[in-house]
Amino acid sequence: MSPAILNTIEVILNGLMAGVMYSLVALGFVLIFKASGIFNYAQGVFALFAALTLVGFQTGQIPFAHVINVVLGTEYHHWGEGLNNFIAIVLTMLVMVGLAWLVERLVLRHLVNQEQIILFMATIGLAFFMEGLGDLMWGANIKVLDIGIPSGGSFWWEDVTKTWAPAESDYYGMYIDVLDVWAAVVAIILVIALTLFSQFTKTGRALRAVADDHQAALTVGISLRTIWVIVWSIAGFVALVAGIMWGAKSGVQFSLSLIALKALPVLILGGFTSIPGAIIGGLIIGVGEKLFEYGIGPLIGGATENWFAYVLALFFLMFRPQGLFGDKIIERV
Amino acid sequence: MDVTAGEKVLNSAVNQSRQFDEELLAVKNISLSFGGVKALTDISFDIRKGEIRAIIGPNGAGKSSMLNVINGFYHPQEGEVWFDGKKRGSLKPYEIAHQGIARTFQNIALFKGMSTLDNMMTGRITKMKSGLLAHVLWKGKAEREEIEHRERVEEIIDFLEIQSIRKTPVGKLPYGLQKRVELGRALAAESKLLLLDEPMAGMNLEEKEDMCRFILDVNDQFGTTIALIEHDMGVVMDIADRVVVLDYGRNIGDGTPDEIRNNQRVIDAYLGVSHD
Repeated sequence: MSPAILNTIEVILNGLMAGVMYSLVALGFVLIFKASGIFNYAQGVFALFAALTLVGFQTGQIPFAHVINVVLGTEYHHWGEGLNNFIAIVLTMLVMVGLAWLVERLVLRHLVNQEQIILFMATIGLAFFMEGLGDLMWGANIKVLDIGIPSGGSFWWEDVTKTWAPAESDYYGMYIDVLDVWAAVVAIILVIALTLFSQFTKTGRALRAVADDHQAALTVGISLRTIWVIVWSIAGFVALVAGIMWGAKSGVQFSLSLIALKALPVLILGGFTSIPGAIIGGLIIGVGEKLFEYGIGPLIGGATENWFAYVLALFFLMFRPQGLFGDKIIERV
Repeated sequence: MDVTAGEKVLNSAVNQSRQFDEELLAVKNISLSFGGVKALTDISFDIRKGEIRAIIGPNGAGKSSMLNVINGFYHPQEGEVWFDGKKRGSLKPYEIAHQGIARTFQNIALFKGMSTLDNMMTGRITKMKSGLLAHVLWKGKAEREEIEHRERVEEIIDFLEIQSIRKTPVGKLPYGLQKRVELGRALAAESKLLLLDEPMAGMNLEEKEDMCRFILDVNDQFGTTIALIEHDMGVVMDIADRVVVLDYGRNIGDGTPDEIRNNQRVIDAYLGVSHD
């Protein structure tokens, strides 16, 4: 194969990997949107908060240390060596479940039957609140998240792909970050697990029932509030996974919350109500923006990755507003 | 076949007056209004164990509102609901479902993306003992429970003769079958009281006859108490043990089909004598 083809393959592969990362965030949106019709703007912040909390537990940070020190004039920061990865992840998950419960209790419960835009505004408020809370609890500095996932380029893959090019070309092999491969594997497992859960368990069936028809769900004896807490907990779990992957990739920093914005075009492509749509939408955007940057970027001055996804989403809004897999929007006149 | 069961079918078919004494549900002096609009005014009647009770009345008489009060979608400003011998507090619809009241809707509220089987399994949620999360944690127990419920649901599927559409997403089914699946989902709950909101609306004659037969069979074989709203007078007079008539949110008649047929206020309401 010629180096040009190999380069294109490399671009596509890296696009797929980037797409998986987008999909991870988009998944959380879809789950909540399906079950409660709420576009949860705070999903990105959830990922950030989960990552912050995980690092906090891992490194033995004292929550609210800064506030405590200012008020009491003390100098506490850490309570010890920190917890091992597994316990830290379980504890973080518990925190996310508690958060879901609080969101239902303090926000959703009071906004039942309100306009969608009001619920959306509430999640924007929630996003800012959570960002502030994260800052206050764990501090604003950029943190390293290391739970032992290998990262860096794969030399093995570089060597293998090097042999595909003709010997006389000075092709140096493909670069693939091992972390991205792990993210892809985790995403696949996550989607399979979510699918099995929703198809084959009683709770999953109740979730689908609520997503389908609130009124009917109530009459068969399903408590919407319980379901909402479960859904937001699952979304919290997805946020945790996304937070771990993004945090391991680029450090736990507050700009992490902005990945919510990147999930938006993914959702418009895939449809707000489709889990497979979130995955495929993410992959299309990942591959699309990398290929566009590689092929056309140099002709128009580069940096196309910043806007390509949004323009693509705009075209979708014009021609297929329900997305590739979303429920067709039919309004009765 | 023992004689008594045969007799019972015959009785209900020819609408002999069967005797029911034990009260299952009673509404007492219910008044409900939305803003300034009065939907129900001072309504009282009871539903007795084992009977088929019809609620009739012209359009806008408050029949569906009455059903919504019974199943907890609406909370009346005045009046009491007594169920199973106890006064009922202000409960949510899903709590009322757990107490043993199932219902269907006038314009079908099924889980359209789910199969017939899944719809009916969801209908059994009140019968499933392990909590929502327990299902995730103890897989073995959950599986055993699932199988038990599945058997029960299959019986209902056989009963309603919908074996061939078990795996079909209900959104794809024709209207008449959707109505039948919705009945099936309500039956799956094995409730004490079954509320049917216009179970025969929009059906052709053959479908209506089928539905009548199912309702009578449910009442006879499972002993389920049924309250139904229906517009087809022929159907109501044939299958109901007792009828309550609403007009403009008021109770204007209550009694056996024969009594209702000869009730002057009811005749006036249906023939449109002017109200003063």
